[in-house]
Amino acid sequence: MVTYVAQDTPKVQTTPKVEFKHITKRFPGVVALSDVSLSVTRGSCHGLVGENGAGKSTLGKVLAGIYPLDEGQVLIDGKLVRITSPSDAGKNGIGMVHQELAFCENMSVAENLCLGQTPSVGPFTSHSKLIQMATKRLKAIGANIDVNQRLGLLPISQQQMVQIASAVGRGASVLIFDEPTSSLSQVESERLFELIRRLQSDGVTCIYVTHRMEEIFKLCDTISVLRDGRHVGTRSIEGLTEAELIQMMIGRPFEAYFPGHLSTERGKELLRVENLSSPGKFKNISFSLHAGEILGLGGLVGAGRTEVAEAIFGLDPLAKGSIYIDGKPEKLIGDSQAAMGLGLGLVPEDRKRHGLVLSMNARENISLPILNRLANLGWVNRKKEDSLSHKYFQAMKVRAAGINAISASLSGGNQQKLVIARWLAANCKVLLVDEPTRGVDVGAKAEIHGLLDELAAQGSGILMISSELPEILNLATRILVLRHGQIVSELNREDYSQEAVMRLMAGMGAENAA
Amino acid sequence: MKRLILNVFRAQQFGLIVIILAMGFALTMCAGYNKGINKFLNPNTIMTTITFGAMFAIMAVGMTKVIITGGIDLSVGATYALSGVAMAMVLKSAGPMGAIPTLLLGLAVALGIGTLCGLINGVAVVGLRVHPFIITLGTMWIFRGVAFVSSKAASIGIPDNLINITKNTFGLGKGIYPMPMIIMLVVAIIGEIYLLKTVMGRNIYAVGGNSEAARYCGLRINRSLISVYVFAGLTAGIAAFVGATYYGASCCIDANGYELFVIASAVVGGASLMGGKGSAISAMLGAMLISLINQSIITLNQPQDYQWIIIGFAIIIAVVLDRLGAELSIKRMARAASSKIDAEIEIPVITN
Repeated sequence: MVTYVAQDTPKVQTTPKVEFKHITKRFPGVVALSDVSLSVTRGSCHGLVGENGAGKSTLGKVLAGIYPLDEGQVLIDGKLVRITSPSDAGKNGIGMVHQELAFCENMSVAENLCLGQTPSVGPFTSHSKLIQMATKRLKAIGANIDVNQRLGLLPISQQQMVQIASAVGRGASVLIFDEPTSSLSQVESERLFELIRRLQSDGVTCIYVTHRMEEIFKLCDTISVLRDGRHVGTRSIEGLTEAELIQMMIGRPFEAYFPGHLSTERGKELLRVENLSSPGKFKNISFSLHAGEILGLGGLVGAGRTEVAEAIFGLDPLAKGSIYIDGKPEKLIGDSQAAMGLGLGLVPEDRKRHGLVLSMNARENISLPILNRLANLGWVNRKKEDSLSHKYFQAMKVRAAGINAISASLSGGNQQKLVIARWLAANCKVLLVDEPTRGVDVGAKAEIHGLLDELAAQGSGILMISSELPEILNLATRILVLRHGQIVSELNREDYSQEAVMRLMAGMGAENAA
Repeated sequence: MKRLILNVFRAQQFGLIVIILAMGFALTMCAGYNKGINKFLNPNTIMTTITFGAMFAIMAVGMTKVIITGGIDLSVGATYALSGVAMAMVLKSAGPMGAIPTLLLGLAVALGIGTLCGLINGVAVVGLRVHPFIITLGTMWIFRGVAFVSSKAASIGIPDNLINITKNTFGLGKGIYPMPMIIMLVVAIIGEIYLLKTVMGRNIYAVGGNSEAARYCGLRINRSLISVYVFAGLTAGIAAFVGATYYGASCCIDANGYELFVIASAVVGGASLMGGKGSAISAMLGAMLISLINQSIITLNQPQDYQWIIIGFAIIIAVVLDRLGAELSIKRMARAASSKIDAEIEIPVITN
């Protein structure tokens, strides 16, 4: 791999452009950043890397004024600055390109570009000046976008250009990119990289937040690795290998990352799906899931994986097809109560939106779907509820003050454990888990992996959706690859490699993998 | 015993009770005496204060359930009026009867009409998928309009034997009628038990806290939503029964503007308009606090004109204080949790 080095990298000066000193940031239940000190050289492209939940985005957001910091100092050009809001950051020449776009989608490109600086004549806004100013800003970064277009109608890649133009136009000398390629195509990403290099040669310092190996080696000249909110190290990209970087990110050799498998013994069939289709989402999905199996459902974001799981759990009234539980046909379409009653459980992708009631405590969240089973004539039997919740709370090793701790105060990993505990308490035989370790810290991640493995060994069937290839490759006993709502391939553990699965997901065909 | 005391102190109602007692104490000090009797701390004034608050305290018990689901019911005042008018008209046309038949018929009509109004609200909110604010704003005019048309705007008397039941002194002395207070306490306690001890109650909190998560757990959300509006209507019917039999007549403009007192009571009692939070007992205490503020203006001979201004301020202050308290406790919890997690996770150090 050829590492890119900007042709006209400015000579390294003694004062760093940005310096973080002992930054600490707490959120309810987690320390997102703990005593982080690092500095960013002027004119460099500095990668902030780490796993989900490592605190890399948080550090970017602290600099951009989105999160006020709890402790520590930020120095810009050697001067101490106080950044408590995005407008403070703007005044200090810091701009941010967000992961979720933070703009007014209902307004035009021009209005968004000049938001807060709308040119005016007397008390009235001046449309012609607005267009002029916006066009100038877009031109400065070489983007060709109609300024009168409504922002929400533009594709994400162009919205991102508008964000960059806006930041640069406001005189930003430091630009923070927060996983900017997460919703871009390959070609669009390449274009973005070119732009970043050009900005860099114009003297803009770029801070690039990512966990994608490829981009780190393509773009960055220096990287800082964060893990669990701590700064692990800062290294020049030259001479750094991918394996070293992974080791820094996960804190142990890559091979030790996943647990050894307890069992691959395949038991009787628990769930069979035949010709499951839902208009506009997926079609002709057929597979079976056996006891003792972890069936991986791979595919790119938007391939229809989540939708399949939701349909099986009865959350999609428009789905059609047959579902067999223990070999018997069951009417589960659009009836999640029936699905639950037959021993299905769904750990949804977005635990804050679909998984937990954050205002309730751990006990109430665990018992939520099975409250009827814990009640006599509508009266909740508190003793039963307490003992059952406590049992699975402990079995999942949830780290919290107790079963009465409000779930909003728990960290992501512990919240995820609660959602899983809920379905264990419901005595599920078939567990549908959707991105089980998204946004979960490293320790909890390993625990969740171990637990899924253990559950399968005890005779449950698990359907696991995951976008993290290493996770699916190491945990699943079989993999179904989904693309555009259809199953394109089924692989057994012996047959798959990271490359083969990746190719299938992207639609390149396994036979060509050579 | 120690645990019991601790629980009492920790209960969310504790703060409200302290404020009510403190205000009561201050008012007693400031009230002055008339013929050796404190102008506030005497059975008559206190019972009047409680009775005034009881009418909307009863409705606040229903309202707090609606608010827990993240909804709102603006039609409770109109439901009160319609239930009261319907009861008075039915009793009038039925003619004189014995006390027990009158009581049963009156209760059936008032509670039945109230429940029906609530059911209409609930089904409309769920079925039409329009925000409850809009639905109940509409039904607020509709219910009051129906009451207006059917009663031809006349005030209709209630049979004496029914009034005698509500205005029973239980031998406590002249002019002291504890019946509204008793009904209020019973409704609040039943409401609280329903919320805390039953599956339906728990589901209400879940739907309000995160309806999507509740759906993903296989809960029947529409059923919970309809039930809270039915509850709000039912409590409006109960309040109408108590009010009509206490004041002796029903009219279509009864309880005009009460919906705001009722919402204020629930909110002062800690219910969050964002949903997921609230308590029936606290809503009742909120109503008592508002009634007490109202009474203090009267007792201290302040001009009645200032009543609305003072109540308005009091509501905002109460809610801001409640939020500050909640934020503080979350922060404290977060710090405790994070220090615990810090201690437990060991992070291996990489040597480069």
